[in-house]
Amino acid sequence: MGLTQNEKIIVRVDSDIQDLIPDFLKMRRDDIKSIQSALLKNDLRTIEILGHSMKGSGGGYGFDRISEIGGVLEIAAKNDNKEGIKKQTADLSNYLDRVEVVFE
Amino acid sequence: MKILIVDDSESSRLLLERLLNNAGYGGVEMADSAAAAFQKLGMDGSSAPSTEIDLILLDIVMPEMDGIEACGKIKAVDSLRDVPVIMVTAKKDDGNLQRAFDMGAIDYITKPVNKVELLARVRSVLKLKNEMDRRMEVTRHLEAANHQLQLLSALDGLTGIANRRHFDQTFDKEWRRGLRDEFPLSLILTDIDSFKAYNDNYGHQAGDVCLKRVADAISAALKRPGDLVARYGGEEFVVVLPETDKNNAAILAEDIRKKVAAQKIPHGFSKAAEVVTLSLGVATAIPSRSHKPAGLIEAADKALYQAKHEGRNQVRVSH
Repeated sequence: MGLTQNEKIIVRVDSDIQDLIPDFLKMRRDDIKSIQSALLKNDLRTIEILGHSMKGSGGGYGFDRISEIGGVLEIAAKNDNKEGIKKQTADLSNYLDRVEVVFE
Repeated sequence: MKILIVDDSESSRLLLERLLNNAGYGGVEMADSAAAAFQKLGMDGSSAPSTEIDLILLDIVMPEMDGIEACGKIKAVDSLRDVPVIMVTAKKDDGNLQRAFDMGAIDYITKPVNKVELLARVRSVLKLKNEMDRRMEVTRHLEAANHQLQLLSALDGLTGIANRRHFDQTFDKEWRRGLRDEFPLSLILTDIDSFKAYNDNYGHQAGDVCLKRVADAISAALKRPGDLVARYGGEEFVVVLPETDKNNAAILAEDIRKKVAAQKIPHGFSKAAEVVTLSLGVATAIPSRSHKPAGLIEAADKALYQAKHEGRNQVRVSH
């Protein structure tokens, strides 16, 4: 603990997949937009699928936190927990702002 | 090696593709749903599969059709039955996993994927498939060789008695010996009565069993080591009797006829009796250069024809 809201988060990623990272992160930002729009339409199924997808792929790219958020999102959507969805989405946005990738 | 990745998540597909490419697996195909996968596999009937897939990585949770159902459908197709399927699943998914194995999946990996685990599983599954393919190849070769061997050998595969080829050789040999010794050579040509009807009504497997029993019965009737019974045709047998005159040949033929009838193999569709019977034609000759050996076979054949014509289940002797 002890991280401030704006401290950088360093993530080490295998250089084998270096060129896939920018697109991956961009698609997660797109996911945030999709989730917000789905919330307005009360389309929880879409949010569930996005969360599940994030859960399955995040850690594979090196972003365990994204897998974590995705898992919670999926459950929140299943339980019609809109507050939970909003929180996870905010956490994801914050994370994406702070993450810095180091290739090795 | 062509690997098919089936996953509705684009990020997952791209990652798997990259990891596999980097490990040297060049031919990676992708599908974003079960339906798309079926198309790639040629299952939807629209076209033949574009490439031969060696391995399928199949995500379990997908909208519309899930991976388990998809696995079941793929394994149900004959030509795809042996393509190995590795399920890709979120951790702690035991219930689903059991069902996936029941549907024919061979292994699983968990998501998010770990590069080392993924490559180890893929490598071991492909190695296993390779070995199985080679083994099937060897089996095919063995079966072909076996078939060749049967053709070249002297025995009829079904009944175990001499085959036609062996009869031809033996008869020729006995004829030439008869030319020197001037002893009579006899032939019995015989044919199962209404055998076509037997096959049509009881089936070919029963027909084969019947042929075997008749062959055994005829063999049992032969007395001397020089006597030979062979399968002459589909339901025809021939007996070669060196140094045997017409009378003795006729006695033996009648003995054979009785022995086969005594088997009491039921035949509800025979024109001759209620059991399987034989018609037999006997012919004898002292081999001489002025006659052809084929002439003796012809004479036996004519006698056989007579036996059939006069009611079947009997012996007729050529004069």
